[in-house]
Amino acid sequence: MTVAPAETFQRATAADHPGPTVDGRLRDLLAGKVIVMTGVTGFIGEQLLWKMLVELPDTTVAVLVRRKGSASARDRTLAVVRKKIFAGVREAAGGPEALLEQRIRVIEGDLPNVPALPRDLDVVVHCAGDVSFDPPIDQAFRTNVIGTEALMDRMLEACTGEDGELVRIPHYVQISTAYTAGRRRGAIGEAPHAHDIDYRAETAAGLAMRDLIEAESRTSAQLTRLRKEAERDHRAAGYLTTAADTERRRKEWVQAKLVEAGTERARSLGWTDVYTFTKALGERVVADKGAHIRTSVVRPSIVESSLVHPYPGWIEGFKMAEPLILAYGRGELPEFPASPDSVIDVVPCDHVVNATIAVCATEPEIGVCEYYHVSSGARNPITFSGFYIHIRNYFLAHPFEGGARGAARLPQWKFPGAASVERLLSTSERAHALADRAVLKLPRSERTRKFARDLDRTRSRLDFLRRYLSLYNEYAQSELHFVDDNTLRLSRSLDPADQPVFACDTAVVDWTEYVERIHCPSITAPVRRLDALRRKRGSRASTWADLSSDEGMRRAKADPEAHRVLAAFDLDGTIMSTNVIEQYLWSRLPELDRAHQLAELGSVLRSLPSYLRVERRDRGAFLRAVYRRYAGADLAALEEFVDTTMAGEILGRLSPDAVRRVREHREAGHTTILITGCIRPLTRPLAPLFDVIVAADLAVDARGRCTGFLTGPPLVGESRAAWLNHYASLHDMDLSRSFAYADSHSDLPMLSCVGRPVAVSPDVPLMRAAAGQSWTTVEWKIRPQNSRWTLSRLTAEERTDPPELTGAPSGDPSPAPRPVRGDS
Amino acid sequence: MARPGFVLEVDERTPPLLVHDGPRLRTEQFPLGTEVVYPPDPATPVDDLTEAIDAACAHPVGSDPLADRLRPGMRLTLVFDDLSSPGVRLRSPDVRGRVVERVLTLAAAAGVDDVVLVGARGLERRSTDTELRRVLGERVFRSFHGDGRLLQHDAEDRDGLTVLDPGGDGAPEVAIHRRVAESDLVVLVHLVTRPGAGGLELIARGLGSPATATAPRAVELIGAAVPVFALDAVVSVQRYGGRLEFLGRREWEWGLAAQGAYQAVSRGLSAAPSRWADRLAGGREASATVSLVTAGDPTAVAAASAAHVAEHLRVQVDGQADVLVVGAPDPTPYSIDSLTNPVLALWNALVPGVGATTGTPLVREGGAVVLYHPLSTQFSALHHPSYVDFFSSVLPVTADPARLAEDFESKFAEDPWWRNLYRTAHAFHGVHPFHRWYELAPVLAHCGDVVAVGADRAAASRLGLRAASTLADALEIVAAGVGHSPRIRYLRNAAPVSADVR
Repeated sequence: MTVAPAETFQRATAADHPGPTVDGRLRDLLAGKVIVMTGVTGFIGEQLLWKMLVELPDTTVAVLVRRKGSASARDRTLAVVRKKIFAGVREAAGGPEALLEQRIRVIEGDLPNVPALPRDLDVVVHCAGDVSFDPPIDQAFRTNVIGTEALMDRMLEACTGEDGELVRIPHYVQISTAYTAGRRRGAIGEAPHAHDIDYRAETAAGLAMRDLIEAESRTSAQLTRLRKEAERDHRAAGYLTTAADTERRRKEWVQAKLVEAGTERARSLGWTDVYTFTKALGERVVADKGAHIRTSVVRPSIVESSLVHPYPGWIEGFKMAEPLILAYGRGELPEFPASPDSVIDVVPCDHVVNATIAVCATEPEIGVCEYYHVSSGARNPITFSGFYIHIRNYFLAHPFEGGARGAARLPQWKFPGAASVERLLSTSERAHALADRAVLKLPRSERTRKFARDLDRTRSRLDFLRRYLSLYNEYAQSELHFVDDNTLRLSRSLDPADQPVFACDTAVVDWTEYVERIHCPSITAPVRRLDALRRKRGSRASTWADLSSDEGMRRAKADPEAHRVLAAFDLDGTIMSTNVIEQYLWSRLPELDRAHQLAELGSVLRSLPSYLRVERRDRGAFLRAVYRRYAGADLAALEEFVDTTMAGEILGRLSPDAVRRVREHREAGHTTILITGCIRPLTRPLAPLFDVIVAADLAVDARGRCTGFLTGPPLVGESRAAWLNHYASLHDMDLSRSFAYADSHSDLPMLSCVGRPVAVSPDVPLMRAAAGQSWTTVEWKIRPQNSRWTLSRLTAEERTDPPELTGAPSGDPSPAPRPVRGDS
Repeated sequence: MARPGFVLEVDERTPPLLVHDGPRLRTEQFPLGTEVVYPPDPATPVDDLTEAIDAACAHPVGSDPLADRLRPGMRLTLVFDDLSSPGVRLRSPDVRGRVVERVLTLAAAAGVDDVVLVGARGLERRSTDTELRRVLGERVFRSFHGDGRLLQHDAEDRDGLTVLDPGGDGAPEVAIHRRVAESDLVVLVHLVTRPGAGGLELIARGLGSPATATAPRAVELIGAAVPVFALDAVVSVQRYGGRLEFLGRREWEWGLAAQGAYQAVSRGLSAAPSRWADRLAGGREASATVSLVTAGDPTAVAAASAAHVAEHLRVQVDGQADVLVVGAPDPTPYSIDSLTNPVLALWNALVPGVGATTGTPLVREGGAVVLYHPLSTQFSALHHPSYVDFFSSVLPVTADPARLAEDFESKFAEDPWWRNLYRTAHAFHGVHPFHRWYELAPVLAHCGDVVAVGADRAAASRLGLRAASTLADALEIVAAGVGHSPRIRYLRNAAPVSADVR
């Protein structure tokens, strides 16, 4: 049975014996030794390697590096030593390869699948680990517990003779974290944390979660739920798109559940998250496995940029506090659930590196694990509000360039407490969810799209806040401080010559200097560079090709492959504003007299709700239902009516921008294709614009009357992508260089299958999909010249002629001029 | 004799004056001393139109009576103006329909079987059936349309043209509508609203190939090839008919009811979304009264009509002004039942507006023009497809007529899609914007600054104008060229006027 660490709060916090010290220069103490390192591609590991290469000239370093894709361990190590800070040692050695040759042994391997380690090793420094606070539970155990176990096992094997006895006593140094103390309060000593958790059982249980949750994600109930969610968004696009989205959702769900399982297990045992929990278990592994060797554990607190080495402000990647600092600088962090008086325990990276190397040089007693806190909270504390003031001061003096709207307003934190920040956040989230549901129901318009864009921006901001607040909530309210007597003693025992080089006494940090002049400038510099670049480049559309300027057209025409490029256009909503029901009414009403017109209109209106229901479910079924109404219509007459009367109506509803674009494609030598679900007669006026028109063909009987059926399924959703693919392979077209233009989410498959998709005045789901894949979105204004009902009104007008003049003119053989009365 | 036009000098007692601002109306308090050119009241109408038509046909100038020229078995072709000729949509019954009906009656009486009606649309858009029905009247339309005897000219239909002179050596060809060329008699029905082209020129422009319109020998060749009997009706068009008729009257003569109606209309239009305002303006019907019908030899008839209309419209104006203010009412002759795009709006303000003179321009060379129009960048995809490209791709490159003709016109003329839309749909010909711009260019060159009040700034700058929000600002802008106390003249252009600048 495990016991919560709460029981141990009363225990002595100081180490029960003084920690070891060093006597002499570190370079001498470690001369001739072989140090095996992990995590060299990471933040601390990289500086550790640099420090060893620069300051320990007679020490050999062996690095255990994982293969990543096609990059071998050697390639990755080379990439590390090519970085700027290695310039000095690199040049001294005569290039990166020579440096590797002379100083570094590369061992390709992975945690926990560690290969055999060199038999001459003296020290192993394990600083590989997860960078994330909320990894899935199985991954956390695999890295932090099993990885540590495997590494130590290989180390012991390397030091064991054939008779099974240790032939040499290695020194194993583990980089852990001060927060392995978990949810304890008060002073934390440099000693093992008291708990009696069986790490093997925990590990087995943690690893089992993966299979458990995977299995659960595949139950029919779960899959049904996910499919329904996916259908809500993607039904219109087709089955494959929905299926792909269902699978994506399943994987996300598994991931989220594994993270949740980790966090909950850690909290149920008194830790804040699975990262610190498994790290704590890792320390226990070290103590167990190291019963017959020398072992040390270095526990840094929050590691941030370097104070002095390799240069002030050196940092690689973004660590814990950076996203928050940057978000604050952008004015996006309105409040933070921290206690203003709690200590934020930050330590510069070079102090951690220096302390680690000094620890490597110590010779702790065999079987007694030594612990070192590298932290600032005990002797040089800075409170959360103090840290906040420094950051605020920094951004007040050096705001981010805000672009056209000037610098962002910096929020002023009042530290109202976690509960009220949580309230604020959850209220905002609820409001956002409501608005998000509403926006999908709004009619499509530029205003709706802008509204949806604003909502999406708010959403990403809220998600950011939610994620970081839940991650760091506990750290920002922690009331523990880490006693660092061992580290201090070690630091003081350093040779005077080593004192400035291997400084690790955090009491020297001047927080104003460190935060305002070293840390903040260092982490904002790359962001500022990126901002400047983005401003210079502008937010240029990425899948748009300029064909309207002379220059653009010349380039397009000069392309020797232009004949292999096609441009596919959707009709409804993209180049023309109408819908199939309207088209049906236009084309059928004129045949009928007034009374039948009204009856037909009424019947269509009555069916409208059911049509809309069907359309929500399946666009193809909807089209079939509407086209059923054409049963009995004379196809030839319909075509003639389109040519004579409806052509103007159709052409008047074209978007001038769309027509321009089609014509530009033609001029550039591209094949223009119109893909639509509407019936072929209606596309007749557009025939001169397109090389190929794909439309629904009405089936006719022997007398030329429509049967109400189509000759083939209407081309919607995924069928359009399939058609394009087939067409492209038949005619040797290059889809990756081709264009597609469409307006609705159901056209997603068609857009996805070409290299240059463009969303035209899209609906909200397509707008989001386009933004997600950085496709160009354009607004093509369609301003129908006549109101929706003009045509039926005009044709109705023509029906109401004086009866004496309605004799069938075409059948009348009598010659013109007809007698006309002149006295009207 | 109708009340003639006159020039009002704005003083303290002058009320705010009506200004046309595209589809909308506004009133403007002009600076003291502004000279306002008022058009004449509509000319005294003939007592009975039918009688007048009959009389003209019976006693033509320079020709035998029409009845004598009709005989059984002959091929008779009636040519009528398309929509853009009076430049407004006329309240039905349209005068053209009345005239055509009378001619058809005469023809029927003479036993003529082979009669065809041809709309002389030139490079303008095809009229819709509904529009033809309005122009010609229900009965004429019914009788001819079904038989395919109601045609509209198609300048791009090579098979439908008879070549009178193949041209060559730099001379343009002369080719006209085949049926017209092969007719035994062509009756040319024309409405005259302002001084301008008439007679055989109408055939060259309305029934020829694109090159024929500008061919120097066209009139001569057509005169030799085709026997023409011209029938001109001089009409006074009142842009506003019915309840809005008061808008054509002078502001101080508006009664209480008119003032109330004005407030209601102008406020309603300003509050309405622009698409409603456009639609209201685009579909507005004008009323027309006929003051003279002349018939006979085309040249003599054209001269008689021109003299009559010039006499009626003439307003004597004293000297040239520094600043000319014009309103630009929608629709333009080319945007009836359509959308008015910026190019057409500018054309409408400057060409019929600034050009409304007997010779000497109303504004001095280098003077300024202030016009009122919103110049919204909206284009009718149905009617003005080539204007879209002209405005967005050609004008940014050049506005110089020589370069336009050199580099762009032929591309627009030969574009298959526009040609197709011109021939089969209701689009203006691809080169239509070029021709409007050629007419505009000399006016723009004559004036210094042109400022558009209340205009879309981007569109104004594309057209080479400047935009101002008020008249005061516009005068401020042009002050650099004309000084701070310029001589301002306002052309109150609700109806045609012909200023005789002395």
